Amino acid sequence: MPALVTDSSSKKRKSGKNASGPSSKRRAVADDNFAEKLSTIQELENQIAESRKGYNNIATLLSMLNVEKSAEKPEMAVAVSLCRVFSRLIAGGNLTESSRAAENEKIIVAWLKERCLDYQNALVAIMREADAASQIAALTLSMRIVKERLAHIPGAENNVWSTGFFKDIFAAIIEAHNGEDLQSEAVAKFVKEYEDVRYYTFTQMADYASTTRSPETLEILIKILQTCDEVPGPEHKFENFYAKRDTKNKRLVSSNSHRKQAQEAWLAILRNNLSQSQRKSLLRMMVHNIEPWFNRPELLMDFLTDSYNVGGATSLLALSGLFYLIQEKNLDYPQFYTKLYSLLDSELLHSKHRSRFFRLLNTFLSSTHLPSTLVASFIKRLARLALNAPPPAIVVIVPFMYNFFKNHPTTTFMMHRSIRDKDLLAQVENEGMDDPFDPNESDPNLTNAIESSLWEIVTLQSHFHPNVASIARIISEQFTKQAYSLEDFLDHTYAGMVTADLGVEERNLKKIPVVEYQIPKRIFTDRLLEEDGGVDSGPGCFMRNLWEF
Amino acid sequence: MPPSQLKQLKASLRENGVLGPQKSKKENDKMRRPESREIALQAIRDRFNPFEIKTINKSSKFDVTTRDGNTTAGGGARPGVTKSLGEERRRATLLKEMNSRNKVGGLVDRRFGENDPTMTPEERAAERFARESQRKMRKESMFNLEDDDDEMQLTHMGQSLSFDGPNQDDFEAGDLEDAESDEETSRKRKRIPDDDENQDQDQEDFIDYGDEEQPGRKKTKAEVMKEVIAKSKFYKAERQQAKDDDEDLREELDKELPDLFEALRGIKPSAKPAKPEAPKQDFSEMNPERAAMLEESQTSKDPEKEYDQRLRQMTFDQRSKPTDRTKTEEEKAEEEAERLKKLENDRLRRMRGEQLTDDEEDNVDEDEILDDDESEIDDATHFGLPAYPTETRPELGVEDEDDFVIDEDLVETNSNASLDMGDSDMEEEEDSSSDESDGPDGEDELINGMTLPAEDSAAASTVAEVSKEANGKLAFTYPCPKDHETFLSITKNVAVEEIPTVIQRIRALHHPRLKPGNKDKLGRFAEVLVEHVSYMGNKTEQPPFAILENIIRHIHSLAKTHPLNVTIACRAQLREIGKERPLNLLPGDLILLTGLSTFFPTSDHFHTTATPAHLCLARYLGQCTTTSLADLASGTFAASLCLQYQQVSKRYMPEFVNYTLNALCNLAPTEPTAKFGAFPYRKSQESVQLVPSKKVTPRKLQFRDVTTSPSDPQAQEELKISLVTTLVSLLGSASDIWAEKSAFTEIFTPVRAVLQYLRQSLKGKVYAAAQEPIQSTLDKIDSHLAQARLVRRPLFLHDHKPLAIKTAIPKFEENFNPDKHYDPDRERAESNRLKKEFKRERKGAMRELRKDASFVAREQLREKKERDAEYEKKYKRLVAEIQSQEGRAANEYERARGRR
Repeated sequence: MPALVTDSSSKKRKSGKNASGPSSKRRAVADDNFAEKLSTIQELENQIAESRKGYNNIATLLSMLNVEKSAEKPEMAVAVSLCRVFSRLIAGGNLTESSRAAENEKIIVAWLKERCLDYQNALVAIMREADAASQIAALTLSMRIVKERLAHIPGAENNVWSTGFFKDIFAAIIEAHNGEDLQSEAVAKFVKEYEDVRYYTFTQMADYASTTRSPETLEILIKILQTCDEVPGPEHKFENFYAKRDTKNKRLVSSNSHRKQAQEAWLAILRNNLSQSQRKSLLRMMVHNIEPWFNRPELLMDFLTDSYNVGGATSLLALSGLFYLIQEKNLDYPQFYTKLYSLLDSELLHSKHRSRFFRLLNTFLSSTHLPSTLVASFIKRLARLALNAPPPAIVVIVPFMYNFFKNHPTTTFMMHRSIRDKDLLAQVENEGMDDPFDPNESDPNLTNAIESSLWEIVTLQSHFHPNVASIARIISEQFTKQAYSLEDFLDHTYAGMVTADLGVEERNLKKIPVVEYQIPKRIFTDRLLEEDGGVDSGPGCFMRNLWEF
Repeated sequence: MPPSQLKQLKASLRENGVLGPQKSKKENDKMRRPESREIALQAIRDRFNPFEIKTINKSSKFDVTTRDGNTTAGGGARPGVTKSLGEERRRATLLKEMNSRNKVGGLVDRRFGENDPTMTPEERAAERFARESQRKMRKESMFNLEDDDDEMQLTHMGQSLSFDGPNQDDFEAGDLEDAESDEETSRKRKRIPDDDENQDQDQEDFIDYGDEEQPGRKKTKAEVMKEVIAKSKFYKAERQQAKDDDEDLREELDKELPDLFEALRGIKPSAKPAKPEAPKQDFSEMNPERAAMLEESQTSKDPEKEYDQRLRQMTFDQRSKPTDRTKTEEEKAEEEAERLKKLENDRLRRMRGEQLTDDEEDNVDEDEILDDDESEIDDATHFGLPAYPTETRPELGVEDEDDFVIDEDLVETNSNASLDMGDSDMEEEEDSSSDESDGPDGEDELINGMTLPAEDSAAASTVAEVSKEANGKLAFTYPCPKDHETFLSITKNVAVEEIPTVIQRIRALHHPRLKPGNKDKLGRFAEVLVEHVSYMGNKTEQPPFAILENIIRHIHSLAKTHPLNVTIACRAQLREIGKERPLNLLPGDLILLTGLSTFFPTSDHFHTTATPAHLCLARYLGQCTTTSLADLASGTFAASLCLQYQQVSKRYMPEFVNYTLNALCNLAPTEPTAKFGAFPYRKSQESVQLVPSKKVTPRKLQFRDVTTSPSDPQAQEELKISLVTTLVSLLGSASDIWAEKSAFTEIFTPVRAVLQYLRQSLKGKVYAAAQEPIQSTLDKIDSHLAQARLVRRPLFLHDHKPLAIKTAIPKFEENFNPDKHYDPDRERAESNRLKKEFKRERKGAMRELRKDASFVAREQLREKKERDAEYEKKYKRLVAEIQSQEGRAANEYERARGRR
């Protein structure tokens, strides 16, 4: 749309240039209202261009904009023409006050400035309230004014970008009514395109988010920030600028300062009151979208530890970010493993972040320097959870354990333990034993899991699904394989297993399936019950005892 | 400088004792033996003739073990000798051939198989004998008197004028030898000497006669003759009779033969080539019975149809065999028990995931299927499936007598069959179960001719019965539906109660033995029925379970003969469930899953249908969300179904525990605050909490509860409390089933906690009838827990034999032979060997051919020279002759002139 607008405006400008020429022909042809209005606008504009006397027409045009009361239905043609007028005026230096100018000159400049401000406010109002097409047009016009001001008014940089017009534009973009199109337009055409616009957007964002905002607004901010995913490297050449740049200003050409602004913006958002789902989505994009912007990722620590302490899925998601900090920035997280251990709860294996978590867990526990007691606690806890886990989770857990057993040979006592102490042996033979493992202990070093055995996995060897059962059986076979590649086991689902069993289409069965060799007398009803003396004991009696058909 | 050749020769002769001074007698004896002397001389000759032996003029290389070929190649060769040998051979063969070319005719040996190198002498002899006897049978010439007993005979005064009998009469006993020789010559004269082959036969004949003659010498000649004549007459008459009989029968049969062939062709081509011949052989033996049958068929109303039927029977009739003696009741029972035991053992082995190898011919690897399923689990594909201990299932009682009724009973029940719904379908099942009882041996059921007549007459009588039936509403014949829509349109106007009758009629009308295509049709029909079960389950609120049960039993009996069709249909249904409503099972699905558990063994380690069915249930239990009481009811149904599935194999199902505990927590009057265990707690979207009151008593759950939620709060509470008691008792049964599991404690401690909580919250608020199951289940679980604690031992899983370290010692070949190729790839080695041999042979053949050619050329040259020389000689002779004549003439002329 803005392309269209600029196109038409350039056309108009052309026609404006030959306005003194014979345009009567066109006028004769165009006899409807719109054309008339256009011609008036054109005329007014021409008058402004011709002499100072026409300046009063600016006020007329402003009043024609139709934005005083509400900006819902602005006259965009007027806006476009005004934009031309002001651009010309700014370029002509008519808005710059020279100290030597005469009093009446100053008055004119001041008056023009005021009108210009009026116009800017009108544009902002249009962006906030009008329909999508007008909003976008207004955005383009505003940015054009910004460009002109920066090009022709010396020392306006700070004035326009940080405190002045751009701030209003930014706020208008964020708060615009039905502003999805506007925002995406702004991001695509300006923020992503021009590095200076991006820089100042970050600045404005940090400023804007420093006060508490509603989650919806934050959502918009996050979206805008998320789309800026090209982090400039240290060698990046900043050349793509929207407006003329003050050469003295070195901030715009340093990637550091760019990243600093982005960091500020992100931090401002992270500190705001995020909803739970926003927090999760932020955590999800933490590693790929947020952390690269940060010069000092340790600033994320607060957010991550807070999230980690929330528990549940949020904790799971915070893990990867936290891990990044621990790994890269040497973050010291006290009792990390205790916390990690506490994450292994009943929901974990049923959660959709299961595979993500297991990937991380694998990394955390891959060190061979970890105490065996700790690893044993993790193994035992996972075994306990596996008793209530769906098949896809069990399929992960068992090879996972296998790898632990390989890396920490002391833990293999959990699979194979012969009691040497004769007294103890006699006691066990006579009285049986309890599981030495303490499931309620939160410190993984103290759970005594290494004294326990993995009866749970042995039970799972008789899991109803043959594949799961045979995977569970690996722990009682000889450990000849070096390690199982976890990735092969991670992403199974019920649906996948069903398709694996049934196939998408019926292929030829290789084998004649076995059929039960006796036809039961009864399936649902009490048929022929008296033959068996009234006692239902045939196959399927279990169901018939419980249910009445 | 070495001494001269002569001196060397002398020395060596002396050394060998050929020459030289007289030796002692002993030594001389040794020497004098000509052979040793000859050998010695030969050696000396060889040594002194250096041109005979080929020498290697190349300097020899270092001797290496793996040097190819013998290092002494050409060392001991004597090219002169070999050359002269070859020359000799050629002279013997090639030259002869050359000389006799275009000059001499050959004798062609046309005896059968004489020039066929592939035949062994025995085969040749056998084949010749067969031909000979065939020729004898043909008997082209009436003048061939070889064995013309049944031919016209010349008689004189009632006495035969044949040569064998009376002609001996005319001779004196003393002339017997002459007579025989005379006879022989006469025979030779009369016989048409068609082939050499008869030669042997003739001789044999003579020997026979001689033998026959031998005992005759003791009796008087007249007696002998009489005897012979009488005997031959008797035999002749007998043969004539037999031949006439055969002729008649053959004529009769010939007329029917085209039909028979048609019938044979209609039947699916049998695997054994011998089979189609069997009936043909039968005809001669079964002659009387057949004749009777044919007569019968003449009299029957629909002779053609009857005839067709009979014909089909004939096709499958077996050659009568000696039957086993009738078994006593005990023996039968024992056999039956044996069979059941075998089937049960098979089941147990399948349950353990072992392979059945003995009886199934198309026994595809069970693992293979598993591997397929795990194909994406690349690491997991290596898992073997070792046996793990399970208890044996209690031996089956004899309660399934209705499945295995012996054939005679079957005939009886069928003959007075009434179309009572229950009975008749029972019989149908019996039919197929009797098929099945014969079937497992891998035999095609079609071969089972023994039961067939009874079977068919039964079917016929059933049909006849139908026509007599007063029930006028039902049609008697139905087409066999190909898809569910057709079936629905067939049964559109049929009351639900009548559907089993319809099914039964369709099955009777399309019995596989009635028509070749029926087997496929019934297979298709089985698929339709599977679809229909789930359709019926979904259609009505309260499905008619008696009817459903009947249909499922029909499917089961069809599954025995068409396992593939039923499996495919079930899998299609399961796939539909998995795709469209994995977490929202319909009542029809539940019924189908229940039915499925009856016709497929759910205890198998892997079963193409039972395993996905398990997975479907588990997925439903594991992931479904509870929104209403009906959801809970169907979940409870699914949970009970899970336990039903695991009654035998006792496998653990985490989803079951999760679901039941979750449901109980949801049903509990107050929401539990603490967590009871590792099962994930999911709150029901709509509160289903029980309001404890003394007004309601738990009842037995009904299938209707799955489909409809009661609106009345009183009824709702009743359903809730019933659900609670059912779930609790399910947990109790589960604890029984899994009591032996090593992690029983871990599984059931949370269960216990939940039940205790439930007991606590219901205490004194509901009837004892609702309290009681909770208490009893708790007691049961407690006792199981105590037991589990008692048997708990540390795991001792890795008591394996230590693995041998892989060795890297190279394989050492004893007696390594460099000439031998140690190629591990046998095929390649073989082909290499053949190639080498071919090359060698080719070279040899080329060389031989070349030598032959040069030999021929030489011979021709020699011949030409000879001819030329001869010509020259002749020419010279002639010239000389002429010259001498000339000279003589000149002389004469001179002389005459002189005289003149």
